[in-house]
Amino acid sequence: MNRTKITIEEVKRLAGLSALEFSEEELENFIPEFENIIALVDEVKNCDVGSQELKYTTHKLSECRPDVAKESLPQEEILLNSPKTKKGAFCVPKMLD
Amino acid sequence: MNIENLSLIDLKNAIQERKLTSLEVTKFFVEKCEKSDLNAVLEVFDDALEKAKEMDEKIENGFKGKLAGVPVIIKDNILYKGKKASCGSRFLENYTAQYNSTVVQKMLDEGAVIIARANMDEFAMGSSTENSYFGITKNALDPTRVPGGSSGGSASAVAGSLAPVALGTDTGGSIRQPSSYNGVVGIKPTYGRVSRFGVVAFASSIEQVGPITKNVKDNAYMLEVLAGHSEHDETSLKEEVPSYLSSIKGDITGLRVGVMKEVEEAVKGLEVEKSYKNALEFLKKNGATLVDVSIKDFKLSLPCYYIIAPAEATSNLGRFDGVKYSRRSAEAKDVDEIYVKSRSEGFGKEVKRRIMLGNFVLSSGYFDAYYNKAKKLQQKLIEEAKEAFSKCDIIVMPTTAGEPFKIGEKTGDPVSMYKEDLFTIMANILGVPAISIPFGKGKSGLPLGIQIVADRLNEGVIYNVADFIEKKGEEDARV
Repeated sequence: MNRTKITIEEVKRLAGLSALEFSEEELENFIPEFENIIALVDEVKNCDVGSQELKYTTHKLSECRPDVAKESLPQEEILLNSPKTKKGAFCVPKMLD
Repeated sequence: MNIENLSLIDLKNAIQERKLTSLEVTKFFVEKCEKSDLNAVLEVFDDALEKAKEMDEKIENGFKGKLAGVPVIIKDNILYKGKKASCGSRFLENYTAQYNSTVVQKMLDEGAVIIARANMDEFAMGSSTENSYFGITKNALDPTRVPGGSSGGSASAVAGSLAPVALGTDTGGSIRQPSSYNGVVGIKPTYGRVSRFGVVAFASSIEQVGPITKNVKDNAYMLEVLAGHSEHDETSLKEEVPSYLSSIKGDITGLRVGVMKEVEEAVKGLEVEKSYKNALEFLKKNGATLVDVSIKDFKLSLPCYYIIAPAEATSNLGRFDGVKYSRRSAEAKDVDEIYVKSRSEGFGKEVKRRIMLGNFVLSSGYFDAYYNKAKKLQQKLIEEAKEAFSKCDIIVMPTTAGEPFKIGEKTGDPVSMYKEDLFTIMANILGVPAISIPFGKGKSGLPLGIQIVADRLNEGVIYNVADFIEKKGEEDARV
């Protein structure tokens, strides 16, 4: 079985999807490491699961709880961990001029 | 009274009967935490002694609880209101929990005194607790070796007698492997048996919270406290929680023990092989019947996990954007930079690796080949297990290949680290319960672990067998 090859463009695309940035050197080093990991998960890609349809996972179907209004966390507590807040909202730099 | 040698249940009884105070007991463990050089504990909570004093007063006034006055350590990804929960990550270094997780609330309702938070691999991604931003935790039995992971801090803390019990979380073996490496007892309950509300999510469809203790009875007792439905977690099960302690009968006559063909194959030549065979022999000698069973795709549960878990992690960790949770890069000038720079500075190498892998298996062109295929494989494994469990009550297998490895030995080779989880991952993929208990010793005299796996919601059977092995198996465990 041929090993799946990963290109530098592919790694850059994944970094973009992941909202992560790497130095050129980190990207280069990532390729062989990532190819080894892909070789591991390729065992699934290449295995036989028959013609079954995807039916369920490990647990019961999720149920919705009754829609009852209850007290939730107060706004100031929600914002407690935010690095920057303003007038009760999460604050980010200006997006539109 | 020697506090260190008392079991959790004995401690609780001694406190309830006022032979010991919660303050004495808590002080003892807090001091042990502070003096310890295992780096198992990231923070000893400064109100621990005060809480113990309050509990003593409550007990004096008639309070009765299953954990009244008993000190507990929690893993750093479990929320305890007003306390930091950093998940071993720089990203959440200053994150403070705004509410209690269900497991913390249940323990507090029963009178527990939560004394500290334990180190872990960042976001529970790892098998050695070498991936924590806050430094490596050492194995309590040999400080040159890893404690396992990701709940390495919790297992090392219990083995090092820093608390009678610690909570861990297990996504692919993260309670059982460190329990095995530190010679203690750890269970991953049935998926949904314990609520995950207030536990920082890594791979939501397969992870569970569970207790790590020094003996089986304490473990069963703790699970009685932790298990049960939570209105905040619809994946938590509504089935009544049985008394796990009363399922411990001291007898295994008639027990059907599944011997998995694929495990027999996989253990060949491993350090743990002899001890695994001895465990089967011991069970047979004591009235159990060995039954041949097969889960044909057992070995594929490992790569299956390394598709499903990173895929879910990628989505779960999307929330860490530099806006809502504690860290924002000082370098960021606009919104996009807030996301990218905060994440790049905040996450460690292994977390980035798994986010990238998750995006790979979910991205267009690969989704069917990897993610959908893995979910179908999971379905197939569940069917195979159903067939196996129709013939047996439990399946026995090793927890790890051998003794804990040396610190630094596997850090340069992620795939070799991932393969650490070969024997533990299946239970997560299937959603079934599995315990690790010490059985036998390896080449250096360090404990090896044996795993008892049962069908969904059969924790009672597991505890009965585990307790039997613990009480009577000592002689047979000698390799």
